[in-house]
Amino acid sequence: MTTMPIAPAPGRLPLLRFLRSELKPKGPLLTPFNVISIPVILLGIGVLIQRFIYGLGSITNLTQEHPWGLGIGFDVVTGVALAGGAYTLAFAVYVMRLEKYHPIIRATVLNGLLAYIFYAGALVLDLGRPWNVINPVIGNSFGYNSVLFQVAWSFLLYMLVEMVELSPAFAEWLGWKRARRILASLALGAVIIGVTLSTLHQAGLGALFLMAKPKIHPLWYTEFIPILFFVSSIFGGLSMVILEGTLTHRLFGKQTNPSKHGSFDDLMLGLGKGTAIALFVYYFFKLLIFLHERQWDLLATGWGAWYLVEVVGFVLVPCVMFAYAVRHRRPGLLRLAAAAALVGLLLNRLNISIIAFNWQLAERYFPSWQEFIVTLTVLFTEVWVFRWIVLRLPILREAHELPNPRPADQ
Amino acid sequence: METYRYVNIFETKGLEYLLLAAFLVLFVFLVRYLSRADHKS
Repeated sequence: MTTMPIAPAPGRLPLLRFLRSELKPKGPLLTPFNVISIPVILLGIGVLIQRFIYGLGSITNLTQEHPWGLGIGFDVVTGVALAGGAYTLAFAVYVMRLEKYHPIIRATVLNGLLAYIFYAGALVLDLGRPWNVINPVIGNSFGYNSVLFQVAWSFLLYMLVEMVELSPAFAEWLGWKRARRILASLALGAVIIGVTLSTLHQAGLGALFLMAKPKIHPLWYTEFIPILFFVSSIFGGLSMVILEGTLTHRLFGKQTNPSKHGSFDDLMLGLGKGTAIALFVYYFFKLLIFLHERQWDLLATGWGAWYLVEVVGFVLVPCVMFAYAVRHRRPGLLRLAAAAALVGLLLNRLNISIIAFNWQLAERYFPSWQEFIVTLTVLFTEVWVFRWIVLRLPILREAHELPNPRPADQ
Repeated sequence: METYRYVNIFETKGLEYLLLAAFLVLFVFLVRYLSRADHKS
């Protein structure tokens, strides 16, 4: 019996050809970023191979006294807060109907999604037994009473929600018009679930530290850490959107249509207004907690001076800078304020998780060079993926503005 | 026996109430300050 050769299904081959063509580089390879990031990523891969063969101790300065280092303190605890712009902006655009921010919503959500994927990935790198990360999901020792159970599920569900929010862009990229219609109709529901989940896990990350009361310096420990983490994720996320949006606008500015999107500075100044209010609320929370705990005498110590640097220098001062920049329309000052607010957020998260953690011990923790390399590798890889997607998908531009024909159009 | 002194602003949490009142007043000023930027532009 002879068999007839099976003809390829109509439309299938063009899709594969389209995907193959999209894998080709879309820009010059010898750029300053590539020249710096490629060696770092290659070195980071080597360090990670060493980590998985010889264990965490071979590449980190972590000890039994300092079990959480740069991998948790920066990548997870700080990185997730920096991704807070996605839920804040999604709430503003889809729920509050502030349509003027629509042009930057996809880039912000994409950044949030990648941040969660890479920072959750970094969490796996920092676990002594990384294969156990799946336990809260598959039901092997659920650990209902653990805050990590709630954080793990919130992370997982929120990543799925962000994928739903971003899925219309993928459908447009592939030319799937019907799928795009269905996925776009899910956006509002996804945003509402996403905001709820973000509230939970941003606060949940702070709640992880509630059990470490004897280890955290009293100036930073408070039973209100969850609320502070949540509020700081709002101004941290918005500050990140301002800086990241500025960078994206400069690098991929050709992709945006200025006549349609209005003034970019107007958008950023509008975000600055929200950031100023969030910083103001956060500052008063800190002040109220300070008064409530009656910590006047602690201010006279070195830790007190460090606390003032964080709260006054990088919370109150950026708040005033934001207000002034918005009122007097100074985009340059606005970006400077955003950078200062991000330093404030970084200081706060690092103080709680590393610097003022086990503050009474003589032995101090300082990350090894390999920890810095792994952190940079995670960061650079995220930027590579972000750039790859922005150059191909309708993130900053409309679908009909994409250069190549879509598979379904062929 | 230690007595509770209602005139002490620290013990009665009076300072915290004052701070809250200041926050509410300043918050209104901040929003008004930021909103005027809109009218100018």
